[in-house]
Amino acid sequence: MELIDRYLHAVKFWLPRKQRQDIIAELSEDLRSQIEDKERELGRKLNDSEVAAILKQVGPPVFVANHFLPQQYLIGPVLFPIYRFVLKIAALGYLVPWILVWIGFMIFSQSYRAERYSRGLIPAVGSLWGSLWLNAFITVGVVTIVFAVLERTQALTSALQNWDPQKLPPVRDPNRIPRSSSIIEFIVGVLFLMWWVNTFSSQTIFRFNAIQITLAPVWRYFFWGFLFVSMVNVALAAANLFHPHWTRLRASVRLASDCAGSVLFCWLLKSNFLAGITVPNVAASKALAVTNAINWWDSRMVPAAIVICIVIAASDVYRIVRLKGTPNTLMPHTSASAILG
Amino acid sequence: MVCDVHYMTHSDGTMNPFENLRLEMRRGFLVLAVLASLRTEQYGYTLRKTLNDQAMEIDEGTLYPLLRRLESQGLLVSQWREEEKRNKRFYRLSPEGKKVLKQLLTEWDGMSSSLNEILKEQHHGAY
Repeated sequence: MELIDRYLHAVKFWLPRKQRQDIIAELSEDLRSQIEDKERELGRKLNDSEVAAILKQVGPPVFVANHFLPQQYLIGPVLFPIYRFVLKIAALGYLVPWILVWIGFMIFSQSYRAERYSRGLIPAVGSLWGSLWLNAFITVGVVTIVFAVLERTQALTSALQNWDPQKLPPVRDPNRIPRSSSIIEFIVGVLFLMWWVNTFSSQTIFRFNAIQITLAPVWRYFFWGFLFVSMVNVALAAANLFHPHWTRLRASVRLASDCAGSVLFCWLLKSNFLAGITVPNVAASKALAVTNAINWWDSRMVPAAIVICIVIAASDVYRIVRLKGTPNTLMPHTSASAILG
Repeated sequence: MVCDVHYMTHSDGTMNPFENLRLEMRRGFLVLAVLASLRTEQYGYTLRKTLNDQAMEIDEGTLYPLLRRLESQGLLVSQWREEEKRNKRFYRLSPEGKKVLKQLLTEWDGMSSSLNEILKEQHHGAY
């Protein structure tokens, strides 16, 4: 019977303190009855391996104890789909851009590359791997802790239960352009054009109390370039206002204008476009240092800007691909039964 | 009609759909079987044997937590008593348990006859 005592002791370890004695007494009684029955059937005492076979059939101590424990989980079945969705968003919105920015820096920033590669490729990749895991661990950890707290407090669960079917979002046609966004885009575009022409048409863009900011001659290309791109965007917003569904032509125009704007913007950051700053009572050398610092910082932004531009262009390309895949039918007019098949 | 039923698990360790559904169905029946068996007082081991004899196999890890749950819900009452020189915990239905068992059996009858009707209709429809 020593084997049974050892088994019960192992089960006891996992049981809740208050119920330990009671559960063990009952389980012990059951096991001893089983053994007695078997002994009666065989007409002899059971040996250790036969007792062990019975215990093996009952199951590992932790499994047996687990049946007596209340069901416990960090994030329950109600919140789990939302938790998984948030993790996906976190991965897409934080970790993926983080990797892209790192790749951007490695490809386009000489100083960053020199700093990392000075100790060889393997330490550089090792450092990325370590940072990636640390960031992933922190992200997943924070999201998990937030959801575990919501699970404990049941805050989100009760909020979810107080739902109103009438407040559900309408079925959204991804190819439809909301009129409100076209109106905002048009107004903002027109205001931007007015401001752009008014402020940046000359090389000296700021003159107040003898403070003066002067742009480099290369600025003229940016001025006309951005002016053209903005005019295209305003025209596109006007077209979208009257025809609020993406067509392949308009989606391609948006892609072209975004690509042109992206190229101009990245070129602008790299071009040392700030020619000089003049401030009274400030030494010319100091003003020059500030100018150079601004230009230097702008050029440091290029990798991040490239990543953002790639994301914008990718979303434009996705829009065109999506338009290829779906006929231009209006989702809101499609009946629910048709959608559900 | 010949039913070819496989009780094997898949090679990846997951149970086949029939086995999953069978266990799910049995879970409901077991509560009913335990309550019905405890109209007469029994202790855990004899209850388990009674159920096993009726082809309602139930292991210790399932029966004892179930008995505790039913007791905490007020459907069973238990008492530790000495029998054959050993302390045993005897269970029986409480008055509340008797009431609930009656309701469950009525529900069971209703469900059973509904299912029979559905099966009968489908049988006629099939031929």
